[in-house]
Amino acid sequence: MTSSGKIKKGGSGPGDEHKSLPEAYGVTEAALLPRDPNWMFIYWEITENSRANIRRVHGEDVFSKARQVIRVYEVPAAADGDTPGKFFDIPVMLEAKSWYINVQDGGRTYCCEVGLVLADGSFLGIVKTNTVNLPGGRVSDFTDEKWMAVTEDFDKLLQLSGVEYIGKGSGEVAKSLAQRWEMLRSVFSRASSWGVSSMASPAPQRPGQKKDFWLVADCELILYGATEPDAFVTVSGRKANLNPDGTFSMRFALPDGAMALPVKAVSKDESGSRAIDIKVTRATNTDAK
Amino acid sequence: MPSKAKGYLALVLHAHLPFIRHPEHEDFLEEDWFFEAMCETYIPMLDIYERLTAEGTDFRVTMSITPPLCNMMADDLLRERFRRYYSLRLELAEKEIVRTRNTNFYEAAKMYETKFRRIRELYEDYYHGNILEGFRKFQDMGKLEIITCGATHGFLPLELRREAVHAQIKLAADDYRRHFGRGPRGIWLAECAYNPGDDAFLKAQGIRYFFLETHGIIYGSPRPRYGVYAPVYCPSGVAAFGRDMESAQQVWSAETGYPGDHRYREFYRDLGYDLEYDYIKPYLHQDGVRRNIGMKYCKITGKVGLDEKAAYNPAEAREMAASHAGNFMFNRQRQIEHLNGFLGRKPVVVSMYDAELYGHWWYEGTDFLEFLFKKLHHDQKTVKMITPSEYLALHPDNQVVQPSMSSWGDKGYNEVWLNGTNDWMYRHLHKMVERMVELANKFPAAEGTLLRALNQCAREVVLGMSSDWAFLMTVGTAKNYSTKRFVAHTNRFNGLYEQITGNRLEEDFLKDSEWRDNIFPGINYRVFSTAEAEKAMRG
Repeated sequence: MTSSGKIKKGGSGPGDEHKSLPEAYGVTEAALLPRDPNWMFIYWEITENSRANIRRVHGEDVFSKARQVIRVYEVPAAADGDTPGKFFDIPVMLEAKSWYINVQDGGRTYCCEVGLVLADGSFLGIVKTNTVNLPGGRVSDFTDEKWMAVTEDFDKLLQLSGVEYIGKGSGEVAKSLAQRWEMLRSVFSRASSWGVSSMASPAPQRPGQKKDFWLVADCELILYGATEPDAFVTVSGRKANLNPDGTFSMRFALPDGAMALPVKAVSKDESGSRAIDIKVTRATNTDAK
Repeated sequence: MPSKAKGYLALVLHAHLPFIRHPEHEDFLEEDWFFEAMCETYIPMLDIYERLTAEGTDFRVTMSITPPLCNMMADDLLRERFRRYYSLRLELAEKEIVRTRNTNFYEAAKMYETKFRRIRELYEDYYHGNILEGFRKFQDMGKLEIITCGATHGFLPLELRREAVHAQIKLAADDYRRHFGRGPRGIWLAECAYNPGDDAFLKAQGIRYFFLETHGIIYGSPRPRYGVYAPVYCPSGVAAFGRDMESAQQVWSAETGYPGDHRYREFYRDLGYDLEYDYIKPYLHQDGVRRNIGMKYCKITGKVGLDEKAAYNPAEAREMAASHAGNFMFNRQRQIEHLNGFLGRKPVVVSMYDAELYGHWWYEGTDFLEFLFKKLHHDQKTVKMITPSEYLALHPDNQVVQPSMSSWGDKGYNEVWLNGTNDWMYRHLHKMVERMVELANKFPAAEGTLLRALNQCAREVVLGMSSDWAFLMTVGTAKNYSTKRFVAHTNRFNGLYEQITGNRLEEDFLKDSEWRDNIFPGINYRVFSTAEAEKAMRG
């Protein structure tokens, strides 16, 4: 048995990797993250306690009667002084807990507040996020005197700098990176060392370039068994690693022909031993079409 | 020493793998990612540097070795497992030169035998089982500039707390000092992801420069006078070098890039599948499942089926790599001549790549680099290779520009690391960081078991911060593994957090976590304290 799929069963010890994450942290809070010049991501948690407080003040049915929204504020730049910031509302369900927010203008500062628009049109904020500065996504309007270039020169410089590759160029790289991982995956994931995919059979490859009706099939072999958890087990002379409950399994490629799989178990004090011999024969016939 | 060259070429390689080390398993598939990169990229690069130095060929390379990679290279368990890995391949290669005698595959088989023998020689005799020794040697000679990266390749623009950014940079700088005996001069921000203002934390660690994707500079404000062909200073005074897309495209482009040449080695025909099962089985993982083992005898050949690939001819492939290196150099000469005339200043062309592209993804890529170094040194005078430190020493007069938020990921910003496949992570990641900051502020001077527990908390947080998990979820490969890693670190952190705040530390749990996640042996949890981050920000 490989290490594959060897996760300690049961218990809540540190080896319990599949223990799921907390659904909530019991704090009313929200956060805003920048994605690109036109998109942000918000997540929030609103506790039952916070809801109860709001119900107490605004009525039991406030959550069903009010409109649930994300209010998106554009934070005025310092240069604009006390000009009140613009805002707009996005209707959401508070249960959504996260949302992607589209804005028209990059290069500005935003913050959001999740809350309720009450029947009288007033806004009741429940939780506010941090502020986020989005990138502008374009060439700056500012030039500095000492380093100024004439405009035509700057346009040419942009060309030379590969401005037409922006986004595209990086995409190319990401694609190549993805291909690199794709390769690693093709190398490893057939029996990823953890869980699920170790039990999935490799997907038979569809032969390329063939237009005719096609079929591919293959098979592998899984040998499994159980004994005393402290016994010493070999399969074809190779040590099998036992799960804490004494079960074991091994997976083999299964080529055409005969294959012998002698299984031997010896008890810990070496006083007892048992053997099971398994013989497998595979024959593959493909029609000659 | 003013040089006659018309401009400079800075070759920058980013070497990184996530920290993958599983002492709880005797044999772990994903650890192979590291062993493969060792055999195909990291050791072959050192081999090239050894040869060039012996021949008297001067060269310059800038290379990041990320802290997770440094920690893996220096780790006793992984070093032992790497020995097992290359020894098995050497044993197979030795058998193969006998088996393939009088076949078309003999030349390829001989190549692997020579290669693995050399790997053993370099690894054991030259570097005594720690290849960081090798990299350090070439850095001390001034030919290689090793730069660092965020402690666990954390994606900084998606962190909410400044303490998290400070911790990623400070831990990296400390780890660098431990391995290389001095502070890092430069850094590769993971995924070139830059958030305006983060440069203050670089400055606090004495880091003088970092790298940006093209539009990080081009969209900077005010307009950059020289585009990406001169660095700019951030308002903090840290320099940012921008990526040249022309040289990037030349290698990477799916249509016209070099690695697709039909004489180069075919990745998808591997001895792990091609050889008779009983013969190859001892070289597979313990489960006996056929997988790639990294030895391949075929060339790309052309657009033919996998079963029609022709035998690989190492000599012919090397010739092609030499020819591609010549082409690459020719294009840089023309580019630099042109830029020099246009800008009225010596341009610096910054060519940035993933290190693992060379050797691992493109097998002959290391040969290509070796030929490129030689040709640049012997055959021309237009282009001079340079490191960013050397450049800044020669040309300290640079424009002050605030670069734009950017990354080198698809579409140029944060989407690869923030989308429907992985956005669920951030709620948990941010909570983990917030709790870590709370602990660091609450216990200014812990001792004994509490100190160990707090340090382990810091390890789990930084491991959870690796951008690799989000990346793998987006790409959809190794998604299961990356999800489980993120969940495992979060759970271990939360377990320790509850034990610390509940004043009921469990020694077994702590010991087990320390044994599994041993990155940064000298970590100090106080790196997450608010006071430290504020001090760094003030400069």
